[in-house]
Amino acid sequence: MIAGQQKRAVNRLESRKLMRPLVDKMYIEGVQAALEGKPVAWCMFNWWKGDPILRAMEVTPVYPENYGTVCAAVGAAQEYLGISDAEGFPTHLCGYGRNCLGYAAKMVDEGQVPSQAPIGGMAKPTLMMGSSGLCDARYKWFQALRRYWDVPVWVLEFPHPGPNEIFLEGTIDNSVRYMAAELKEFVNFLERLLGKKMDWDRLRELLNNQEQVLQVWWETNELRKAIPGPMHARDFWTIMAPCLYGATEKESLEGYKRVFQEVRARVDAGIGAVAQERYRLMFAELPPWHSLGFFDKLAERGWNFVIESMGYHPPPPLELGGSNDPLERIARWTLWFFVSSSLHARKRDYPLVAGAQPYLTWAREYKLDGLLLHPLLTCRTGTFWLGRTTNVLRDQMDVPSLIVEGDIVDLTVFDESRALSQATAFEETMEHYREVRKKRGV
Amino acid sequence: MIQASAKGLDHARQVCRNREAAARQSKAEGRKLMGYLCSYPPLEMITAVDFVPFRLLGDVAEPVTRADAYLASIICPFLRSALDLGLKERYDFLDGFLGTHVCDCGEKFCHLWNYYLPSQYHHFIDIPHLVHEASFDFLKGGLELFQSTLEDYAGWPMSRERLKDEIRAHNQQRALVRELYELRQVDPPLLSGAENLEIMVALMSIPIEDGCELLREVIAEVKERQDGPQKKAARLLLWGSPLTDAGLIELIEGLDGNVVMDDICIGSRHFWPDVELTEDPLDGIARRYLAELKCPRTFRETTESYAKDQEVRFGYLGDYARDWSVNGVIMQSVRYCDTHGYEVPALKDYLDGIGLPNLYLEHEYTMIALAPLRTRVQAFLEMMECS
Ligand code: SF4
Ligand code: SF4
Repeated sequence: MIAGQQKRAVNRLESRKLMRPLVDKMYIEGVQAALEGKPVAWCMFNWWKGDPILRAMEVTPVYPENYGTVCAAVGAAQEYLGISDAEGFPTHLCGYGRNCLGYAAKMVDEGQVPSQAPIGGMAKPTLMMGSSGLCDARYKWFQALRRYWDVPVWVLEFPHPGPNEIFLEGTIDNSVRYMAAELKEFVNFLERLLGKKMDWDRLRELLNNQEQVLQVWWETNELRKAIPGPMHARDFWTIMAPCLYGATEKESLEGYKRVFQEVRARVDAGIGAVAQERYRLMFAELPPWHSLGFFDKLAERGWNFVIESMGYHPPPPLELGGSNDPLERIARWTLWFFVSSSLHARKRDYPLVAGAQPYLTWAREYKLDGLLLHPLLTCRTGTFWLGRTTNVLRDQMDVPSLIVEGDIVDLTVFDESRALSQATAFEETMEHYREVRKKRGV
Repeated sequence: MIQASAKGLDHARQVCRNREAAARQSKAEGRKLMGYLCSYPPLEMITAVDFVPFRLLGDVAEPVTRADAYLASIICPFLRSALDLGLKERYDFLDGFLGTHVCDCGEKFCHLWNYYLPSQYHHFIDIPHLVHEASFDFLKGGLELFQSTLEDYAGWPMSRERLKDEIRAHNQQRALVRELYELRQVDPPLLSGAENLEIMVALMSIPIEDGCELLREVIAEVKERQDGPQKKAARLLLWGSPLTDAGLIELIEGLDGNVVMDDICIGSRHFWPDVELTEDPLDGIARRYLAELKCPRTFRETTESYAKDQEVRFGYLGDYARDWSVNGVIMQSVRYCDTHGYEVPALKDYLDGIGLPNLYLEHEYTMIALAPLRTRVQAFLEMMECS
């Protein structure tokens, strides 16, 4: 340790530092592409479905959802939220959506990237790519953006098979067929719009890279089952972005390999992410981006967040059969992300619990003492299952939850000191349930 | 209580206000009841195996107490209320439940319902968001799967002929509903918006054949009535998320406005389009539920311009406005509804474009929450009169 430098409560991974420039590069690429007159797409995060296709067509994706976190972090969101309200969008809508709608309205008004837009702003899109996966904002917000940009909106379709219905013969095949057919339509649409042909070899190359990124990042997270947990949620959140938004890129793969090596070395040496791991916890779902220091204070008490944010995790290795057709290959991977948790649970004879399934599995496999749940004022998708998760984990696993309310862009909702004041009581609860589990022989 | 002697409008009102008693009466007569949420479950298939479809609704008069432990306060209050009623055993007469993907929270609600309120039969149909050819194939595949689970449960096959008969029966009810709505095209309308809503709720609570009978009685009675609504300055179209209680409409009609047409799913949105009788009935069913139902949860392809998009998405409202001589629109939605919420500015653009004054109201799906809306409605109606 350098003299005078205080040891941090969370023992951060060195390799995380490789990832930050990749995220910055993503933003710069968007602005650069627009300056060079190249096509730019405003996109929703889409679970590795549409991005490889866009990239193979040399369209640069830009992610307003992610930009929302940046605006919130630097205090620019308030202005955009106000504009969205004035435009007539209800205030209960997704904070990221409102931020983006306000930004677009301002950009149209000023005729250029709004003055003082953080990190160079988002360039005017050539097209927009929404998605119907998991939340309504993902396509309704993009449909609403059409008011500002006279450019086409394409919606990537995500089937939502029921948790029981996925076990019925025909459901998976029907869903894969539909997704692949829709992806073909998407390619046709892009070819018409851009006046060029899809480079299928390039797409295959990008997919190979993407699948390797998913694999190595998944393996890294598997290593986190070790005791003590070698990697904290803070590192997960720092490191996840290239996988979510740039999995097709070679640098991402290199970065994740380095992260894997570091985590592996920690596991081998028995090094944990917090000095004294007293409690192993999960965090669900979207974190309070603006108050991540909160986790350091909990780390000082020995709370190690060993797993988190289900929606941001890569799926396990594909078990839905492969395909030589790149579009079907994408369809199978993406669907696998949504159904793998139920299929995994059934294989291992875990109880089937709609909605809370991934959390129940994690509680077992990551040996959790508790959950920290973060219901969000404007994100129904990230909040819906939290109540049920609390009940299921308490009833079936004797694992308790602590609930701390917040929001994705309204920073005032998250009350850090109040949450910290509950820590002691929650430790007692975790201890109590530890005893209960011991008595039950778990 | 529903009096055996009640007829027409009086009967509709009694059923609406005692819909659980109406369901229990069906049950006592040996019928099986299938609960369903929203307008997307294909009711023809439910009745083809002799289930009575019963739509799950909330109750604005009942404070949500039990559902709090399962659903956060930022989730659609209509769904929270419906779950609350289920947890309070007010829907314990249901033999089965059919869920569909309507909106994100609606989908999750169906899974939650099955977990906490299991019934003998339940199934979930995944409804696509897009209206492409592949979407119809996908939905048809889902309907075939649904058919097979339903047949397994019922213990007998659903023949094409029987399904076609059911399509005819439902189309007949839809035709009667359209006929009922025509009674509000005249000025003053022969039926109030509040009365109309009660009839719609009643139809969603009783067997289809009884519903048709009820509609015939009501239409005959209304055509002859002398005590219909008064002529008012504003002839309004009401748009938005489900309204299950006439409170908001009564509030509007207590002022200087008649609600003469609606685009809500406890109303025209649910009943309007017919199912086309196709060779394979599932083709017609898939097309009707996916393409013809006009709910903002379905994404319509963007076109060459925003103006054309608006026409594609909202043009039918312009047709309603013309045919019902509408001179103002009230958009309303429960708070926390994303599918309706994102729609508001674009719909406002469309209405402004065709010269229809409009007002957006948001409410919490409780009786008390209506009071503050009164002033806004009043100001809107006054503004309309001046313009
Ligand atoms: S998941 Fe939540 S935060 Fe993300 S786009 Fe949907 S509503 Fe917004
Ligand atoms: S009112 Fe909105 S959120 Fe509620 S069920 Fe209907 S569409 Fe979904």
